[in-house]
Amino acid sequence: MIEKPFFVGYLPAPGPLRTFLLTVSILLIAGLGIAGFLMGAAQDDPGPGAFRFDYGRQTVTGVVELTPYPILHVTQGDDRIQPGDSFLMTAGGKSGVDSRAEPLNGQLAQVSGVVLERGDLYMLQLRSGRNGLQAAEGDAPVIAPEPQGRWKLAGEICDGKCLAGAMRPGRGLAHKACANLCLLGDVPPIFVSTQPVLGEEFLLVTGANGTRLPRAAYDYIAQFITAEGEITKRGDLLVWEIDVDTIEVTE
Amino acid sequence: MSVKYIPVQWNRNKWIYDAVMLTGVALFLWVFLYLTPEVLSHEQPVTAQIHNARAFGACAFVMLTVILCIGPAARLDRRFLPLLYNRRHFGVMTAFVALTHAGYILNWYFAFSSTDKLVGLLYANASLGQIAGFPFELFGIFALICLLILAATSHDFWLKFLTPPIWKRLHYLIYAAYFSVAAHVSLGILQDQKNHVFTVLFILGASAVIVLHIAAWLSERREIAAKDGAWAEVACVGDFREGYAKIAKLANGDRVAVYLMEGKLSAISNACAHQNGPLGEGKIIDCLVTCPWHGFQYDVRSGRSPAPFTEKVPTYRLRVIGDMVEVHPDANPPGTYVEPVPLPEPPPDPARDPAEQGATA
Amino acid sequence: MNVAEALVMVMQAWGIIGAVVAAVFLTIGIDRIDADARGAYIFRPLLIPGVLLIWPLVLWRWWQTETERAAWAERYRPVRASYGIAVVLMSLGIVAIVTLGLSVRQSWPADIAPLQLSEGARQ
Repeated sequence: MIEKPFFVGYLPAPGPLRTFLLTVSILLIAGLGIAGFLMGAAQDDPGPGAFRFDYGRQTVTGVVELTPYPILHVTQGDDRIQPGDSFLMTAGGKSGVDSRAEPLNGQLAQVSGVVLERGDLYMLQLRSGRNGLQAAEGDAPVIAPEPQGRWKLAGEICDGKCLAGAMRPGRGLAHKACANLCLLGDVPPIFVSTQPVLGEEFLLVTGANGTRLPRAAYDYIAQFITAEGEITKRGDLLVWEIDVDTIEVTE
Repeated sequence: MSVKYIPVQWNRNKWIYDAVMLTGVALFLWVFLYLTPEVLSHEQPVTAQIHNARAFGACAFVMLTVILCIGPAARLDRRFLPLLYNRRHFGVMTAFVALTHAGYILNWYFAFSSTDKLVGLLYANASLGQIAGFPFELFGIFALICLLILAATSHDFWLKFLTPPIWKRLHYLIYAAYFSVAAHVSLGILQDQKNHVFTVLFILGASAVIVLHIAAWLSERREIAAKDGAWAEVACVGDFREGYAKIAKLANGDRVAVYLMEGKLSAISNACAHQNGPLGEGKIIDCLVTCPWHGFQYDVRSGRSPAPFTEKVPTYRLRVIGDMVEVHPDANPPGTYVEPVPLPEPPPDPARDPAEQGATA
Repeated sequence: MNVAEALVMVMQAWGIIGAVVAAVFLTIGIDRIDADARGAYIFRPLLIPGVLLIWPLVLWRWWQTETERAAWAERYRPVRASYGIAVVLMSLGIVAIVTLGLSVRQSWPADIAPLQLSEGARQ
């Protein structure tokens, strides 16, 4: 048996061991650096969603409609938001604007806030209090809902705000708890369809008969699913009343 | 060691150890945080807080993997023992990195809500009945608590206070923590990520830990042949080498290190009073048995550490019957002096490997 | 929500009790049971997180040491025997959870097209 070098912590390392330890140290440091690079560079593209502070604050007027998630049908736009557009709204953080919008259902209101945009999808994060949402003078036109029939769609239920750009990535299972928390705070849920439905990739998703997305559907948030439900066009926004019993997880 | 406690007993090797470890960790984080965003050609970057959380989470996983590889590697190849020496600092650092990861997650995903952050963390995802979509954060929380317990009880005081067996049992939580981390990753980011590089690295890391540990365990099992009888056989007279020990396993599971020093045999417990390190795998330096893990020393005849230290280990009685050295399984109370037994000349054995004989002489 | 709130409250209570135990143990207890700690004060704050986390174990060991209940031989009985069990359980667990995780992994069902099941009623 050949004498092996014996290491004692508080004594200098024996000669032959020093070369070995130097090699191990260099490999360890290099290995950590390489691992950091590979893991960091392997991150997926989180999508194009973002807060558009560069657009500046938007102030527009329109008709408030509760689906029950509040929609604004624009009657008087600005240089970026056109009359005839319909969009969803949230408050700051993980909360919706329901309590502010409910008294104004069917009425004309002025809203002010910053745009969150992801492709065709955009919503407005309103300023707090009356600065963000207040009643406006004038007659509110009636926006007639246009039923589009019952559809079976494939895709993913997300929270609209994170998806639209409050977080990147703002969808997927690693983000599920955050999405649930947003929805519990009345942020409107959005369904991302695998293929465009009536020209739209993103649909507002609600429970049956104009209710909130039921808690039973929360188990499926961020998973890829198929489900059935009635689609209604409200303004230029599609609203899908999902039938929770028909939800199936795809392969 | 005994003598008054201080926060950290620094020495040159620990400085070097920490410098290497911190350089590696800093490099990992720097590359992940500042270099990779340059490489990723995304239209919009990953949110900074999420990017940070991922960097620290990935770093904690890699660090934990390295830490868990050190132990079995040192068992299989003694040259890795120096990596074991200051592993506790590595562990404490890992706990800090993991805590930073948790901090970013908690203060981003669970902030900005009317719900309390911690309540939100435990409450937001209640899909406990499914695998995909399971609240994988729970595995992360468990692993973090384990890491914090291990880091918080890493000072030598805890070893002495809890006693090495209880301390060691507590620190077996590391295996539960690593499993939990694997579950956290498997049900979390692995579900989402479309680029499979991380998945491959993760599986490689976890496999290394598994393979090394199983190999170390099997080799240990092979080494220890169970022995019965009142007086337990240790080894043949000719097998002993000056300054080194043979380890005997007693029927009750205890292990005894039988050392040859100056031609005489003495037996002490194989478990160091510090962390229950394998004293029998150590060596006699300056007439003192020196533990291979942290260099704790004992007089082989009495099992006592030299003054001013006060550590003691149990001693055992020995006898030589014919060519066989035997140990009595009843341990003497720690620190009991036992007269060393002279080693008879081994009978000439022509079949012996000459190289080994040379080293024994 | 109630369960989550209760858990957070339990955690807070655990911490508060831990703080009390730490205060008593690190000022009075530690001097009584460990001669090496007498006169050594700088290292004590390092022990606070440990006491906060595992205070029941601290109280139990303190009581054992005070009453000298633990047999001396226990101290020298390494738990290496359970190493095999720990390692095998961990390995099996990791293999199982990774396999399970990868097996339920979904891919974006891009090939499933929207399907209209019925016409919308004309208004």
